[in-house]
Amino acid sequence: MALIFRLSGKRFGQQMLITDKSGLFNFVRPVTLKAKPALSEKEEGHDERNMRLKRPQSPHLTIYAPQLTSMLSITHRFTGMALSAYAIALGLGAVVLPESIPHYIEELECAEIGSSCISAIKFILAFPITYHFWNGIRHLLWDAGKFLTIREVYITGYVMLALAISSAIALSAM
Amino acid sequence: MNSARTRFCNSKLLKEFVRRFSKVKSECKDKNANAAKAPEKKPKLKTFSIYRFNPKDKTQKPTMKKYIIDINDCRPMVLDALFKIKTEQDSSLAFRRSCREGICGSCAMNIDGVNRLACLHKIKPRGVTKIYPLPHMYVVKDLVVDMTRFFDQYHRVKPYLIGKSGDKDQGGSQYLQSIKDREALDGYVECILCACCSTSCPEYWWHGHSKKPNDFLGPAALLHAYRWITDSRDYATKERLNQLKSYYSVYRCHQINNCTSVCPKRLAPGKAIANLRLLMSSFKKKKKPDMEGSLPAEPEKACDQACEAGDKKK
Ligand code: HEM
Ligand code: SF4
Ligand code: SF4
Ligand code: FES
Repeated sequence: MALIFRLSGKRFGQQMLITDKSGLFNFVRPVTLKAKPALSEKEEGHDERNMRLKRPQSPHLTIYAPQLTSMLSITHRFTGMALSAYAIALGLGAVVLPESIPHYIEELECAEIGSSCISAIKFILAFPITYHFWNGIRHLLWDAGKFLTIREVYITGYVMLALAISSAIALSAM
Repeated sequence: MNSARTRFCNSKLLKEFVRRFSKVKSECKDKNANAAKAPEKKPKLKTFSIYRFNPKDKTQKPTMKKYIIDINDCRPMVLDALFKIKTEQDSSLAFRRSCREGICGSCAMNIDGVNRLACLHKIKPRGVTKIYPLPHMYVVKDLVVDMTRFFDQYHRVKPYLIGKSGDKDQGGSQYLQSIKDREALDGYVECILCACCSTSCPEYWWHGHSKKPNDFLGPAALLHAYRWITDSRDYATKERLNQLKSYYSVYRCHQINNCTSVCPKRLAPGKAIANLRLLMSSFKKKKKPDMEGSLPAEPEKACDQACEAGDKKK
């Protein structure tokens, strides 16, 4: 900016020498610049800055398309949680309940709720185990650095699903 | 003489020539007819629903705004559609772009629920296409997000060669590398830092934003961490691996592999992270470089030195 003023001042100055004295200083004023140390900016974090500017967070979970990759992953966590819940429930049950667990299982078998219903209950118990087991093996293979191209991730995903469902059906037919 | 002529006239060659020539002529006619018809082509309307946020707006509320354009009068990519909307309907629409050919990494955004480069993603003819900014980022305006943290995480993995300690000639000479060692870097050097991967990763959403250095670095930065560690000319492997040994930097990754599935350059950040972990736990060791040492940066000096070395050998 100062450079513009100085340059224009020079040019107009030359003109002034040649031609008559016009009212030049009416629109070009000399500017004196005073050097000042730069104000040190406060260390402001990324979040603090963005929150001060009231910038919204772009939507994420609600708009992201469900894909095999993320769905299988979240199911692994859910089945892990289900297994933990089963283990805790059975453990607590064994301690708290008046009769032993096999007693209740026998009662359930005698209640005549139909074999299909029993198979369904067995499937609900078995599927988290089989899914978590086979997908756990998939995870361990990944940890070894294998099957990590996107094609392989999808193929192992489908193979794992087929194994998990078929072994869960086999377990619930027993 | 006469019989020769009739033979020529009846020859297969001539017939074939006549047949082809007439075909070309008729094709020309068809083309002319098409050209005349082109302006009457029916417009094909397509709706885009685009995330809008204006920082100057008093309400400060993001909204979705619908735009309808004729895609018969538009080039094929989503970025072309955004340009058409900006020039014809709403000049206030903000988005980043530069190369429009998938090499600058500016135009990454969430299109139909998946992170993509707008310039490489074809417009779908049917349905409403929803466009959001990259997920879980601070929005500066419309589709423009604040990338400061993403690039800061990239800088923290020291994305440059670190030579042997005590090497005073850094930058003054060129390090030698065998072709095979260079090829080991393929699949990593192609990254354009578009942030499609990191912002598709749920773990990055939840842990990428904690206070540094206790943040998950995200697939893009980690891909680069691995790229510099595997480089045969780099000697800071130990320091680099030590820097990553925290609860957050690498181990927040649960191998969801959204990153690999989304990368527009078809790279595999998930694999780079798995390899990093193998290196960190010493299950894998860095390969010894095929070539070591350096040559002067100026080609002529380098040639002289190479010749001298050759002479000495003789
Ligand atoms: C009763 C048995 C089991 C229970 C209660 C259980 C529970 C869990 C839980 C809660 C997680 C955390 C999930 C997450 O971080 O997303 C997990 C992860 C994991 N489980 Fe299991 N699990 C069991 C059996 C198994 C078996 C048999 C295997 C292997 C064959 C296995 C392999 C894995 C692996 C590799 C992970 C890490 C996944 C990741 O990084 O997200 N688990 N398990
Ligand atoms: S790895 Fe792929 S998705 Fe991630 S920043 Fe690089 S080019 Fe983009
Ligand atoms: S593999 Fe790791 S970095 Fe990639 S999306 Fe999954 S959790 Fe994120
Ligand atoms: S405009 Fe450069 S990557 Fe799309």
